[in-house]
Formats: sequence, C-alpha cells, structure tokens
Amino acid sequence: MSLSFLEGLQFRRMDSPIHRLDPRAKFVIALSILGYAMLFTEVIPLIVGFAILLPLVFAAKVFRMWVRTIKGVLVLAILIFAINWLVTPDLAMAVGLALRFVLLVAAFSLFFLTTSPDDLGLALEQSGVPYELTFAFTTAIRFVPVLCREAQTIVDAQRSRGLELERGGLLKRIRNYLPILVPLVVGAIRRSVDLAEAMESRAWGVSEKRTSLYRLKMRGRDYLAILLSAAFFLLAMYVKLLSNQPLLPWLL
Amino acid sequence: MPIIEAKNLFFRYAAAEKYAIRNVSLSIRRGEFVLLTGPSGCGKTTLCRCFNGLIPHFHRGVFEGEVWVCGYSVAETPPNKLSKHVGLVFQNPENQLFCLSVEKDVAFGLENMGLPEAEIRRRVEWALRVTGIEELRHRAPHELSGGQQQKAAIASVLAMEPEVVVLDEPTSFLDPRSALELFDLLKRINEDLGVTIVLVEHRLDLCASIAQRVLAMVDGELALDGSPAEVLCGEAIRLFGVGVPKSIRLYQLLLEAGVELEHPPLSAEELADLVRQKICQ
Ligand SMILES: Nc1ncnc2c1ncn2[C@@H]1O[C@H](COP(=O)(O)OP(=O)(O)OP(=O)(O)O)[C@@H](O)[C@H]1O
Ligand SMILES: [Mg+2]
Repeated sequence: MSLSFLEGLQFRRMDSPIHRLDPRAKFVIALSILGYAMLFTEVIPLIVGFAILLPLVFAAKVFRMWVRTIKGVLVLAILIFAINWLVTPDLAMAVGLALRFVLLVAAFSLFFLTTSPDDLGLALEQSGVPYELTFAFTTAIRFVPVLCREAQTIVDAQRSRGLELERGGLLKRIRNYLPILVPLVVGAIRRSVDLAEAMESRAWGVSEKRTSLYRLKMRGRDYLAILLSAAFFLLAMYVKLLSNQPLLPWLL
Repeated sequence: MPIIEAKNLFFRYAAAEKYAIRNVSLSIRRGEFVLLTGPSGCGKTTLCRCFNGLIPHFHRGVFEGEVWVCGYSVAETPPNKLSKHVGLVFQNPENQLFCLSVEKDVAFGLENMGLPEAEIRRRVEWALRVTGIEELRHRAPHELSGGQQQKAAIASVLAMEPEVVVLDEPTSFLDPRSALELFDLLKRINEDLGVTIVLVEHRLDLCASIAQRVLAMVDGELALDGSPAEVLCGEAIRLFGVGVPKSIRLYQLLLEAGVELEHPPLSAEELADLVRQKICQ
C-alpha cells in the first residue's frame, strides 16, 4: 500500500502574487466562481469559467498540482455525467453538470494549493472561530505527515511478519487492514496524551485573551481582488438574466 | 528560600501498583545547576512532572507530601499557571511541537500568556538566536531532524523566560557534539541569566563538569545527593548501574595503582590538566 496520494494534502510553501493574497480574499475568489458555476449548466459559460481561472493558476505557479487534483476527481465527474445522461437524455445538460462539478473543484483546489494551513487557521481565528477549533485544525494538519510515516512503518513491519494485504475477497481484505489500523490508532491516542501534557506545560488556556504573533491584514490588492470577484459574479448574473430572453440565444 | 523544595514526596500513578516516587525530600537553591540521573524506570520523568504540576493535575494518582516551586504549592497550582515560572522540556521532541512552523511553536506559550505582539516578537527572536535555529524558523516540524526538533522544543520553553528549566533527557536525539553545544548553552543560560537548571541525563561523560550538584535516583528513591565529585567517585553509584564518566574511572584506576591526582576530574580536559600537573611535579 502506498500512501503517496496523501501528499496532495500537503501545502507547499511557495511565493507568487496569488500566494501573497489574504486567505479571505482568495476565499471570496473561490466563492465567486462557485456562485458563477451555480448559475450555469451550459457548456460555453462553464468553459469561460475555466478560462478565467486558468490565468490565476498560472500566476500562482501551481498548474501541475492543480491538474493532478482535477485528474483525481475525473472519475467522479464521469460518474455525474453518466448518471445524468441516463436519467435525462439531454447530452449537453449532462456534460454541463459534470463540467460544473470540475469547475468547483478547480476553484477550491486553487484556494487550498495557495493558502498555507497556518494562514487559513489565522483567517478562521480572525473571523471569530474559537481558537480551540482552529488549533485543532492546524495541529491535525501538522500531524498528517507524521501519521503517514507511522502508517508506512507499521505496514512494512506487518508485511515483514507475513501479512498479505492484497489477498482474499473484499471482506478478507478489509480484515487484512486491522493489524495496521489498531497500532496506528493506539499510537495516535498515546501521542495525543503527550501533546496535551506539553500544551499544559506551555501555558495553554492560562490567559482569557490570547494574543497572536501574526495578524492578517487586508491590503489594497486584497480589496481589489474581492471587488473584481464581486463584479465578475454580478456581471454573470446579469448575463444570465439576459440570456433567458432570446437576446443572447448563443448562450443556450 | 529554595526555589524547588520537596518534603516527603510519594507518588503512585492511578494505573500502577507500585509507588514511582518514594519519600523524596530535596531542596534546590535559586541559580543552581542540578543533574538528575539514575537507571531507566527509576522515576526521573515522574519527578520532573512533580516540579511543574503535571503531577498531580494531569497525571492522576496518589500524591502525598509537599512540593513547592517558586513559592507555589504544586498541589494547588495547575501546570498552565506554573509554566510561567517552570519550563519543562520533554523526552520526545516530536510531541511538543504542535504548529506548522518553528517560529509559531516558539510563540505558542507566549500567545497563550496573552503577551503583546512586540514582546512576543522580541522573545521569539531571542530564543531562536540563543538556540542557533534562526534559519529554521519557517520550517514545519516534520521537515526537521530529531536534533533540530529538540532545539526548537528548548527554544519554545526558553522563550517563556521561566525561572527554572527542567530538561528530561534533552540530548537523546543529538550526536555528542550537538549535545556538548546544548550543555554549553544551558551553562550560559544558568550563569548569565541566573536560571535554575534541572537536567536529566544519562551521558554523564559529557555533562558532569557543568553541574554543581548531582542527584541520583534508584527505584523511586533519592539515593545520592552531592557535588559531582562526591557522588560520581563513590562506590554506590556504580552499583546502581549508572555510567560513571571515564575520567573518573581512570582517576580511580590510577588511585588503585598508587598515583593520586589532586582531585577527581569531571571531564577529559580536566583529567589532562591534572595529569600534566602530576608529571611536572
Ligand atoms: N503514565 C504512567 N502511568 C503509570 N505508570 C507510569 C506512568 N509513567 C511512568 N510510569 C511508571 O513509573 C515508573 C517510573 O517511570 P519514569 O518514566 O518516571 O522513569 P524514568 O526514570 O524517567 O525512566 P527513563 O530513563 O526510561 O525515562 C516506571 O515504573 C513506569 O512504569
Ligand atoms: Mg524518563
């Protein structure tokens, strides 16, 4: 069993104009594309959506990883297409719905690929989410690579003792994973006790008002990004309203 | 007034049948550098937990006797309150780094204390500099070696500027040279800033010369307490299975062979000096 697919969860520290945007501004960009995708089921406007997203992806220098995420959900997109095509014999509609799904994933993938979990946690915190929750979120991400490594070690150890993972029927295969799951969970619980102990020893919860080393600050470019996103969405809504008239039949 | 004082301390973990600490009484003065040693399982980690309130507040069990640290009764002060005064560096560095960057981890305790941003920044910079990990500040913990993680853990405790720093085998992931560097750092912090240090160590070869006092535990009891020379030259310590520094062993062998050096040497350098003296006489 290879755990390399989990690597996709790991944010890579990079620098680009998009990386430097405030996470909240980037979230609004993703939301505006979400809103846009919700407006249309037609193929052409959805492709326009991709065309608008693509320069941002290039500006962020994450094209390859972005494509990899999209490839990852392709099976799901095909499934959406197939089901819709079976239910309603409208081919264009089925293609549109599948495309819409991919556009959504593409927009949020750009968000997660360019926002460090730390910044995301900070943004949540500054938006009023309780610190306990944002801390749980960032700490969970911090331990993803640790748990992956541990899982790999356990897999190797159990294999060297003769465990065969890819053998037998479905039920047997699920049972095969037990000798890996149990030590992994036990290890994680033991680790969480250690963590709690260390947190207590570093003044966890001692002050009513917690302060922070970093503060996110919205700058001109962030406001501009939000403004443009809003304008883009409003424009799309306007076009959509018009398109219901026979004025712009090509959009239908 | 001593900065750490234990009176007839007993402790048994709720899950255990045996007492892990039995009748320990000790007092440590402000500014002392104390080495705590003893065979595996003798209760060193347990005693460290009694110094910052993890026992009895976090680890439940039977707690008898008294422990006073920096004027606070440990039984009545939870560890998060005590952490301003006592810093504890744990054995496993990986499980005391919770954040996604070293810098954020070093700031963690200070943020919890609610210090102003500028003060946090000042202390973080100082702690990173003094431990020599400034260039690692943006790394995530899983991108660090064991030794680097250990330094990050130490920096995050030092940043809180505690009066006492307790370190539980902080060199377990370090090579001998980095271990020596760390001991040197502890010595500077002890001498320049007057911070009281309690160091749990097995590698007496490397650290005997910097401590002012050695405590040896055996089976939950405090067996020996004295200057490094007194404790390490005695017969008792060897019977406990604690590795005595080679310089001391050599001193004893020379003594048996009829060569008496002026005093027991605690490091190789000291041994060399004494031998040179002897030869010149
Ligand atoms: N959380 C716990 N629950 C129950 N018993 C414990 C717990 N932690 C330690 N013990 C027991 O208490 C005794 C002392 O353990 P402790 O960890 O203090 O030893 P130590 O001197 O630090 O050993 P080492 O050098 O291996 O770190 C041991 O017998 C151990 O099994
Ligand atoms: Mg221990």
